Amino acid sequence: MPKNEKNSKKKLSEKMSELEKMVDWFYSDEFSLDDAEEKYRKAMELSAEIENDLDNLENKIEVINRDFSDGASI
Amino acid sequence: MRKASRREDRAMLDNSQSAIDLVEAQEKIAEALKVPVYTVSDFLAVCNQTLEYSFSTTVIVGEVASFKVNQGRWVFFDLKDEESTVSCFLPAWELRTSLEDGMKVVVKGVPKVTKWGKFSLTVKQVRPMGEGSLKKALEMLRRKLAAEGLFDPARKRELPRDLSRIGVISSTQAAGYADFCKILNARWGGLTVLTAHTQVQGLDAPDQIIRALRYFNERSDVEVIAIIRGGGSADDLAVFNDEKLVREIAASKIPVITGIGHEVDESLADLAADVRASTPSNVAEMLTPDKKAEIKRIERMVSGLSLRISNEIEACREQAKLKLPDAKIMQVIADMRESIFEWRQRMNNRMSDESRGMRTATTSSRSRLVDFMRREMERRQKDLLAQKKILAVVNPDDTLKKGYAIVSGDLSEGNVVKITTFRKTLEAQIKKVKERRQNA
Repeated sequence: MPKNEKNSKKKLSEKMSELEKMVDWFYSDEFSLDDAEEKYRKAMELSAEIENDLDNLENKIEVINRDFSDGASI
Repeated sequence: MRKASRREDRAMLDNSQSAIDLVEAQEKIAEALKVPVYTVSDFLAVCNQTLEYSFSTTVIVGEVASFKVNQGRWVFFDLKDEESTVSCFLPAWELRTSLEDGMKVVVKGVPKVTKWGKFSLTVKQVRPMGEGSLKKALEMLRRKLAAEGLFDPARKRELPRDLSRIGVISSTQAAGYADFCKILNARWGGLTVLTAHTQVQGLDAPDQIIRALRYFNERSDVEVIAIIRGGGSADDLAVFNDEKLVREIAASKIPVITGIGHEVDESLADLAADVRASTPSNVAEMLTPDKKAEIKRIERMVSGLSLRISNEIEACREQAKLKLPDAKIMQVIADMRESIFEWRQRMNNRMSDESRGMRTATTSSRSRLVDFMRREMERRQKDLLAQKKILAVVNPDDTLKKGYAIVSGDLSEGNVVKITTFRKTLEAQIKKVKERRQNA
């Protein structure tokens, strides 16, 4: 079943920005070895989810049921 | 005054009498000849009705002659070939291309006889045809619209990012449309594409495309409109030089991207659009990121993280070596060994978790990283063992155990120095100092 709901798309873009924020943390002043392992694990899981979404999301292509040859003169 | 009024009354009576006489004569003749008899106006009305019925969709090709625009409102020209000529007429606002004498054109219209008895064609559509005429018309219209500022770069809007709904105007049978869909599906997912099926060549195509543009602008639920058509002859692509269509594109509230023909085919529609793509496939490329490239980018991002962590561990170790006195190094190393051991435990647990459920494709990059981390830890453990051995060798207690002593203080004659053995500490005064000859 194609997953093409607007929500899925929004979620994908949200996930991507979340991952970017996570990665930024590793290069910020807040970085600490104590938290690194947990953050690393989360980043890996999120990246796997994103890859999964990208591989499986399908586009919905719909032809509009309307006759454009018929209508008011232009 | 009175005389003049009488004359007018007399003339009116004469006219009325003439009209009555005419009708009576018409009826008498019709009765005698057994055929319909018309007045002039009726005759022309019947002629026009017959012409309209017989030639409702007349399309004629010919060459323009005697082109003129009267009072900026009415366009007149003759359409001719080697032997014949027909007069053409249309309101100026319906002229959607630039014309001049000598141009070859295709005209769609309805033949009509005017009330003055002149036969002419009321033009519904007119398009240049043939390479020379098309080029000339295109250049004239380009100059006109450019002068109005329709193609100004300042008018162009950027296409929105993170698209979710795209409006497409194309013929669903066109090869270009199939190319667009194929590339779009290969590059990205989760999009809704609403396609307005229209003609993309022929005289009716501009009006259909305009209706589709208006439809999407009224709906207002697509973020971008893509007008798509594959390659074709100059005649085929002339649709996209239609003045009304070009103006409609420029006026669209929703940003418009065009992908018409090939790279070399630049239409006025392309110039009026916010973004021009070179082909239908290129439209798909410009609207979406490439998921393969995006996956690689994500892999690069996360693979850099493990390196970042190992660099930090390395830096901590170096810092510990430099700052701490020898006696504490063992403790620091022991702590590090413990933390690395815990780290390895956690990573092993994580690997077990992954092996339970993750997809092969997506875990490949992560398993590479996990391997990397494991190798890194094994290497560090070896380093730790080596350092432990070095420390054991230089440990003073081990040396003292073998019977050696440490002498500390100023080793000059008369000074008191400290002597440390394995079990005792002594203080002794130096009586004499001699240089020792070394065997080397």
